[in-house]
Amino acid sequence: MSKIRITFFILILILTLLTSLFLAPKVINPFHLDTTERNILFSIRFPRIMVAFLMGMALGASGAVLQGVLRNPLADPYILGISSGASLSAAVAILSGSYIFGKFTIPLVAFFGASLVSILVGFFGWRRGGLWPERLLLAGVGLSFLFHAILMLLMSISPGERLGRTIFWIFGDLSVADWALIPCGSLFIISGFVIFLSRAKALNALILGDELAHSLGFSVHKERLILFMSISLMTAASVSLGGIIGFVGLLVPHMMRFFVGADSRILVPASAIGGGTLLCIADLIGKSVMPPVEIPSGIITAIIGSPYFLYLLRRKDVLGT
Amino acid sequence: MSSVLNHSILQFDNVGFSYQRDKEFIHNLTFSIGNNEFIGLLGANGSGKSTILRLASGILRPSTGSVKLWGELLQSYRNGDRAKLLCYLPQLLDMPIPFRVRELVAMGLYPYEIIPDVTVDEALDIVGLVEKSDSYIKNLSGGEKRRAFIAMTLLQGAGLLLLDEPLANLDIKYQVEIMRLLKGLKEKKNISIMMALHDINMALRFEKIMLIKNGKILGMGNPKTVLTSEMLTGAFDVAVELKKLSIRSTYASYLDF
Repeated sequence: MSKIRITFFILILILTLLTSLFLAPKVINPFHLDTTERNILFSIRFPRIMVAFLMGMALGASGAVLQGVLRNPLADPYILGISSGASLSAAVAILSGSYIFGKFTIPLVAFFGASLVSILVGFFGWRRGGLWPERLLLAGVGLSFLFHAILMLLMSISPGERLGRTIFWIFGDLSVADWALIPCGSLFIISGFVIFLSRAKALNALILGDELAHSLGFSVHKERLILFMSISLMTAASVSLGGIIGFVGLLVPHMMRFFVGADSRILVPASAIGGGTLLCIADLIGKSVMPPVEIPSGIITAIIGSPYFLYLLRRKDVLGT
Repeated sequence: MSSVLNHSILQFDNVGFSYQRDKEFIHNLTFSIGNNEFIGLLGANGSGKSTILRLASGILRPSTGSVKLWGELLQSYRNGDRAKLLCYLPQLLDMPIPFRVRELVAMGLYPYEIIPDVTVDEALDIVGLVEKSDSYIKNLSGGEKRRAFIAMTLLQGAGLLLLDEPLANLDIKYQVEIMRLLKGLKEKKNISIMMALHDINMALRFEKIMLIKNGKILGMGNPKTVLTSEMLTGAFDVAVELKKLSIRSTYASYLDF
């Protein structure tokens, strides 16, 4: 049954990709391309779809892994504060106007900020030879508040034009997608995903609790540290590619659990496909509803995601409670 | 064959353990679990039952002394190898993510690269949960949930099962159900079991009991010799009177309020 459902999702993804490439916001006939259309297709739409899919994939997969590591179905990759570190560092670059690495400045500083916060969260979450879920969560929340406050302070004293650009980035700006960003972004996201794949059984065991995971033959602290690294890599790379996209990391694992069950070996790859699909759909809607104005994808995912999430919450069998 | 039968599976030698510095919680504990034994670990709350089981499973390491599994130091085993020999089920079996029964039971195969002969369906059949195989764990009754986890341990194939209060929060129907299942596993699958409990009347029906107080063994052996009124009164700090109903049946009376 789960194979049929995954096939169904892949079909939706293909349909979304084709629509994004050739139909929206303006129709392009792939069989009769002029120079402008060729440029739009290969320099704008293709990289944008790739970035949207990669970001969604990273957020969906890292959300599913994080919910297992923290044993908390309400966890979202951003709860670890990784996004707040990326936002603050990206905002500093945008607001100060110092693009020292050219078009790579924002992704680079965002990745640096995200990685730095991951290390800080790991530092505060570490005790007696290992990472502890409650400490990770509290460290993430604490650091998020701190960075968010500094971000708000910076934004409140900044001039208008740069402020608008910062806000756009914070809500997920896929318009900056560029071919040049994709190899590096995908390297980190795929590395994080491969790390997870090698520890998928350990993640299932950790969901049962530390004592049962130990009884099943896993080194609890080692596995949790490796999975935390996997989450950090995927989330940091995702944020640096296109900003903060809310709800994907929280919502998609729940949706996918309904379709494929809770076994992380299937759930996490399914959440990657689901996250990629959802973000491509959100981007498609964002650029199609009132062209030429684009609505940031983070707003669309929250508008689609919240009602669906609340619907799922009412269904007893989905959360198993 | 006789040497295997006489060999102890798990051996505690002068084991001490402290949660806090300068405050020993488990004192100089020496005992062994032999092949095909079913031992009840009886004591009041905070007496050290759970700590002893955690030391036996390798979750905690002794501060002094040693714990040996099949004659080798427990911590010298690789995690995966240890998991094929002993299995521990904690008292609290909460499930924040909604796994189904079949998904949970199949996790018992994780220590193995080559899948053993017992299948998920067989394990579910043994614990009587075939019809609930697609149910969410959270939707099972307390007894069914406990049986699902026991099915997982069956796939794990360990010869020693350590259970922390498997009868806690279960009504008498499920308590009897779990005890029958465990006794059947001991007899048919030759699994040795050590389980913590604090119900004296249930303990009276065990073949072997270890009575614990303040991290020390008050007595170990047949309940008829270990569970006397004096010993139980000392262990629980409540006056316990043993009353004989028939030649085979005794019950403890302690409801003096």
